[in-house]
Amino acid sequence: MSPSLFLSLLVNGVAMGMVYALLGMGLILLVRAVGILNFAQGDLMMFGAYICACLLLDFELPLYLLIPIAFIWFALLGVIFMFTIYWPLRKATYSQATIIATMGASIILQEVAKIIWGSQPRSMPHLVLNSEGDPAVLQIGSASLQWQYLIIIAVGALIIFLITQLFEKLYVGKMMQAACQDSYAANLLGVPSILTICATYIIVAIVCGICGYLVAPVFMVRSTLGTLQLRAFAGVVIGGFGSIKGAVIGCLLVGIVESFSTMAFSGYKDVTVFLLLIIFLVFRPTGLFKGKIGDKA
Amino acid sequence: MIKISNLHAYYGTIEALKGINMEIRKGQITCLIGSNGAGKSTLLKSISGACNRSGSIMYKDNADISNLSPQKVARLGITHVPEGRHVFPGLTVKENLEVGTINWHGFFGRKPYQKEMEEVFALFPRLKERENQLSWSLSGGEQQMLAIGRALMSHPEVLLLDEPSMGLAPLVIAELFEKIVEINKEWGLTILLVEQNAKLAMKTADYTYVLERGNITVEGPSAEVRSNDMVIKSYLGKFANTK
Ligand SMILES: Nc1ncnc2c1ncn2[C@@H]1O[C@H](COP(=O)(O)OP(=O)(O)OP(=O)(O)O)[C@@H](O)[C@H]1O
Ligand SMILES: [Mg+2]
Repeated sequence: MSPSLFLSLLVNGVAMGMVYALLGMGLILLVRAVGILNFAQGDLMMFGAYICACLLLDFELPLYLLIPIAFIWFALLGVIFMFTIYWPLRKATYSQATIIATMGASIILQEVAKIIWGSQPRSMPHLVLNSEGDPAVLQIGSASLQWQYLIIIAVGALIIFLITQLFEKLYVGKMMQAACQDSYAANLLGVPSILTICATYIIVAIVCGICGYLVAPVFMVRSTLGTLQLRAFAGVVIGGFGSIKGAVIGCLLVGIVESFSTMAFSGYKDVTVFLLLIIFLVFRPTGLFKGKIGDKA
Repeated sequence: MIKISNLHAYYGTIEALKGINMEIRKGQITCLIGSNGAGKSTLLKSISGACNRSGSIMYKDNADISNLSPQKVARLGITHVPEGRHVFPGLTVKENLEVGTINWHGFFGRKPYQKEMEEVFALFPRLKERENQLSWSLSGGEQQMLAIGRALMSHPEVLLLDEPSMGLAPLVIAELFEKIVEINKEWGLTILLVEQNAKLAMKTADYTYVLERGNITVEGPSAEVRSNDMVIKSYLGKFANTK
């Protein structure tokens, strides 16, 4: 394998891994906040991609207007999602009810997207275009790297950094962590759990929406975009299902493995990702990292 | 300080409290003893708003708090330290204490809480030594100190302590009870103390209530209750009078 091919495969893999990492981080945030695995994570991303496509292609908004308006829609989507899928079922006698509701939400989001925007995939322009209007590339030696992938990596890293800072450093973030770790005690001290849960849903929906915007030029905007979440699930499990750090590293690993396997056996890239997952489940079922809360016997 | 009348509490159709009348007097330590399942924790939860209840709970100048949510009760200055400590396992000691300030600090507030934290560290120097340690790894006694310290961060006027001695060694219990008395005497907080350790609780408290299957059966100044025949028989055992 030539170095230039290696480099471009690596960049593609890290970029896709970054998208999975953002989805995976959102999964962990929701699991911690409300104890539920969200099977509509990828569909929130898909819906976000449609919202962006609509604002960009139909309303032809410039970027400086598109970003704030898209954020408002993402946040709204998060709030609606919380109050329809999670809130009515939060006291259900068995917690699986809410998980199944997220599966239902996944179907609903896909169908609603089809009703509003039709079933034809829409194509979005890359974020950076060259003078002929084609996707711009960065030439390093003989390797040509698509700017779109480099932007995905940069934006993804920035978001992951900002969110970890939010939770580790800010007062609000600590309150959110407290509410996640022991909602009963947090409530008794006066932490308003409805606000912390709502904030978590808003953050997750915004992150998913940004993912949608980033991957739309690569995969086109289509109602099946949500299936990318399966890679995020694999990455989160490989990472250890407890820490954001584990989820991010696990998802990056999935992205890289997937990218290099297209090289060797392109028809089987899904197989390699899940083979990796099975290997981990057999030989290291606890994943790469433990959560920071240990078991004190 | 708090006057409870005809308080009932329910878990679904189970009635855990069947018409409680009691008074928690300002500046005193009031203790509540009773066997497992008597409803002690339920009584604390009814005051702090963590369970379904009906009846009246008057706080200070005749404000009924019997239909307030836990957040609202916490904001009024009643802080509940729940049974089993409930520290936030993935947060450090310092961060746990920070969470205690939420009821007066607010989400986006900028008020400093350095002074409160130093006062808590002065009361529990052991917490200061471990300020950056994640709290799941603390010993049971340290976790209990943290749970109480965290409650003290919330500017409370009334502290509801649920079985602070649970699972601790006798020496640690003795130390903890000294601190509880200090919080009452020096900090001037009113305390409602729930305890299994009836002997120690009655030695510490000014006034005692005995709760049995959802009803108050005996009440009075601790010294009196301590010599009540029924209490001696069921809670103190035959060694009641030995020191
Ligand atoms: N969440 C709950 N759901 C249903 N019933 C409950 C619940 N919590 C408590 N109970 C019942 O209410 C009654 C009183 O319980 P409570 O926890 O107040 O007892 P307690 O006096 O604190 O006991 P302990 O000394 O063991 O802590 C018990 O019969 C208990 O089974
Ligand atoms: Mg109890």
